[in-house]
Amino acid sequence: MGANFQYKWVLGVVLSIVVQLLFLRDLALFYYGFCFIYLWAIIKAPIETPPVYLIIGGFALGWLLDTFYNTHGMHAFATVLVAWLRPTFFKILTPANGYDERSAISLAEMKWLWFFPYVALMLFTHHIVLFLLESSTGSLLGLSLLKAFLSTLLGLGVFALLELFNSSK
Amino acid sequence: MNQLFEFLLRQRNLLLFILLQVISLWSVFTYNNYQHTLYFNTTNAWAASILSTRQEVASYHQLRDINGELALENQKLHQQIFQLQAQVQQKADIPVFFSKAALDRYKPIACKVIDQSTRNSQNYLTIEKGSQDGIKPGMAVISSTGVVGKVISCQENLSLIVSVLHTSNTISAKIKSSGELGYIKWPGYQPEVAELMDVSKYKKVVKGDTIVTSDYNAVYPPNVPIGIVAKVGLQDDGTFHDIKVMLLTHFSTLRYVYVIENKFAGQQAKLEQAKPKID
Repeated sequence: MGANFQYKWVLGVVLSIVVQLLFLRDLALFYYGFCFIYLWAIIKAPIETPPVYLIIGGFALGWLLDTFYNTHGMHAFATVLVAWLRPTFFKILTPANGYDERSAISLAEMKWLWFFPYVALMLFTHHIVLFLLESSTGSLLGLSLLKAFLSTLLGLGVFALLELFNSSK
Repeated sequence: MNQLFEFLLRQRNLLLFILLQVISLWSVFTYNNYQHTLYFNTTNAWAASILSTRQEVASYHQLRDINGELALENQKLHQQIFQLQAQVQQKADIPVFFSKAALDRYKPIACKVIDQSTRNSQNYLTIEKGSQDGIKPGMAVISSTGVVGKVISCQENLSLIVSVLHTSNTISAKIKSSGELGYIKWPGYQPEVAELMDVSKYKKVVKGDTIVTSDYNAVYPPNVPIGIVAKVGLQDDGTFHDIKVMLLTHFSTLRYVYVIENKFAGQQAKLEQAKPKID
């Protein structure tokens, strides 16, 4: 499993970034639902990944997104934040029988009661920080909350679909 | 000393996290000063080449619409030529009050859009011409149907434009029929609708009025169409009209724009900066 999984993850990261930059940039569901699939890299990184790599990787990833979105540091800020918070989320959401070294982050392995709260926490934290930074004025607070909420729902749907496709193989 | 190193080593995640967050935030806030030019945006050479290829594929599927728009624009231009010719003939024997320089004060430069966004709260466009083609920060950008925005930074062959769909990019505007002044501000959502601010509730505004750029505008030429009044209400404070304006520029399908070079911009800025004291 090990090496095979890593290879799949790397492929997934590259694919998710390409899809994000070339296809999902202009996509918005009812104006408010945005899909940030590039977070796949952080969300699905193997559990034992050292946090240092995750934080540096998150920064590089966010900075790349910022270059393409003209947002200058906003994606970097939000992505580094979720990369840093990931171990904390793991602690909050410990499954009944704990983690073992073979467990991977997937719907099939962790079951939906762990997987969905985890993805929702990651996505919502990222989105709320991103949209608040982006709106840059307090007057858009309600709008940012709505955007973050709807985007999280959309993201959950997309991640669930990806997992279902993945597990059938 | 040893303890310090040990502490740093133990807390390296936290320290790295804080360092990167500070770098990100610094980037956010220096850039939002909004005149700052940083290399890391879509005018970055390789980001632009990727986006340009992407746009080429996308615009191939829109050729029909683009053709239609061009035909309409041609029609409009022909009409204007006829009108101007008629005026010239009429006024042939009246002394001319314009200097020759004033007649060709504004010069349009046609540019291809390689990247744009409409869904964020602060939107930008990237165009495929830059300082080599005579484009400078501060120039106005319009489309065949209305205003688009303002150039904020230039590379050699690429420029970044801050769109009208940006909450801190306001435009001095007036109502075409009555000449009432105000300014256009985008509220941060719905890429089709902006708001006309600062029009007193005692002035008459009718649904369907055309909003154009005002004459007191350092960036845009006067009388460029901006939008059509779609809804008139009263603002919460009760002193101004709450006017919703349907923008005439279709930002989501924008493919070609005109950057307007104002030959007097430098002179005007210099004059207004160094206002002599009258006493």
